[in-house]
Amino acid sequence: MNKTLATVEDFLKVAQVRLELDLVAGASGLGRRIEESAINRPGLALTGFFQYFAHRRIQTLGHAETAYLASLKDGERHERLKQIFMRHIPCIVVTRRHRILPELIELAEEYKTCLLRTPAITKNFINGATIIMGNLLAPHMVMQGTMVEILGVGVLLIGKPGVGKSETALALIKKGHCLVSDDVTSLRVDSSNDIIGSPVGVIRYHMEIRGLGIIHVPSLFGVASVRNEKQLDLVINLCSPESIAAEDRSGQLALKRSILGVDIPSIEIPVAPGRVVANIVEVAALDQMLKRLGHDAAKELDEKLISVLSKDDKADE
Amino acid sequence: MSNVGHKQDANDRILVREVKIQNKLGLHARPAALFVKAANRFASDITVEKGNSKVSGKSIMGLMTLEAGFGASLKIIAEGTDAEAALNEIQSLLDSKFLEG
Repeated sequence: MNKTLATVEDFLKVAQVRLELDLVAGASGLGRRIEESAINRPGLALTGFFQYFAHRRIQTLGHAETAYLASLKDGERHERLKQIFMRHIPCIVVTRRHRILPELIELAEEYKTCLLRTPAITKNFINGATIIMGNLLAPHMVMQGTMVEILGVGVLLIGKPGVGKSETALALIKKGHCLVSDDVTSLRVDSSNDIIGSPVGVIRYHMEIRGLGIIHVPSLFGVASVRNEKQLDLVINLCSPESIAAEDRSGQLALKRSILGVDIPSIEIPVAPGRVVANIVEVAALDQMLKRLGHDAAKELDEKLISVLSKDDKADE
Repeated sequence: MSNVGHKQDANDRILVREVKIQNKLGLHARPAALFVKAANRFASDITVEKGNSKVSGKSIMGLMTLEAGFGASLKIIAEGTDAEAALNEIQSLLDSKFLEG
């Protein structure tokens, strides 16, 4: 698991286009850490009240704050803003394309703190930035595995190199299911403690298939064949028949795999030459969906069997 | 993943080597393919680390996500009976600048 650290630069990388952010001053503060995902409006701090000032958060100056600052005398305004900058805040964002006060630029440079501007209204900026920061600070890891979405079920295929993860995913795409990521999958925990999988960086939407090389999935199969992220519901370990740990032919053994501290249902599928794994993976996903709805075929059959057997017992007596 | 049911063998060794990307274009598709081809000739598990990222050395897609440009340092970890030979082979590939200068 990667330690979750986010700098202003990391935030900008994701948020710059989405939230139309401009870096106005204080570029030397790009490396500064943002330690909390919430966004703060420093209204009380501007009045000089610094108890409980959330200085680890991104600070936003919206309509109200700007109007309040404009009502202050020059010297006073500078002093109040300086008090905020002195507390080592990660960065300041001015929303609604408000005029940037010269004091802000001067202090941003002096205290090496990024000063950003967005045309967005404050509410929209705060909503957008909170989600982005939540994702940036969420526990995350990169895992070797191919992720697909099968009728709404997020499935991560893992297994040794060459076992056929990508080939299986390709067969599933041909059946109309979606690719999330090939071979390398980024996983993070979201606010409802689900694991979310997504592709990593430049290789997004591409696959590497032995014998073909690299292919671009949406160009070949259409935009509906890819997904940018998906909740993980099932981990399938493709393994050679002899290496399988505890093959359970009754289907009752509920394996779990812990990913970032969250238990995800898991199964092991033995891969033998000529076995059509895609079909089995597809059915495994459907079965997982059924289990989520409260039906467990293996358990129900066993219960039926036991009730039949116990009737027989009575008949014998 | 790969260590599920994996038994520690007396001959298994873990070797780590720091290397640098020496070709100008960095670890793009062709060098990544050569790297993976070399790595796959060995039984050892091979992992490549750059900063916080850690991927399998036997995966082209994995290596490409590292976005390792000219001069980037990588840590290559080989685990298995032929770990040393694998590292030597990969090292010589990097030293040859993947034959592209």
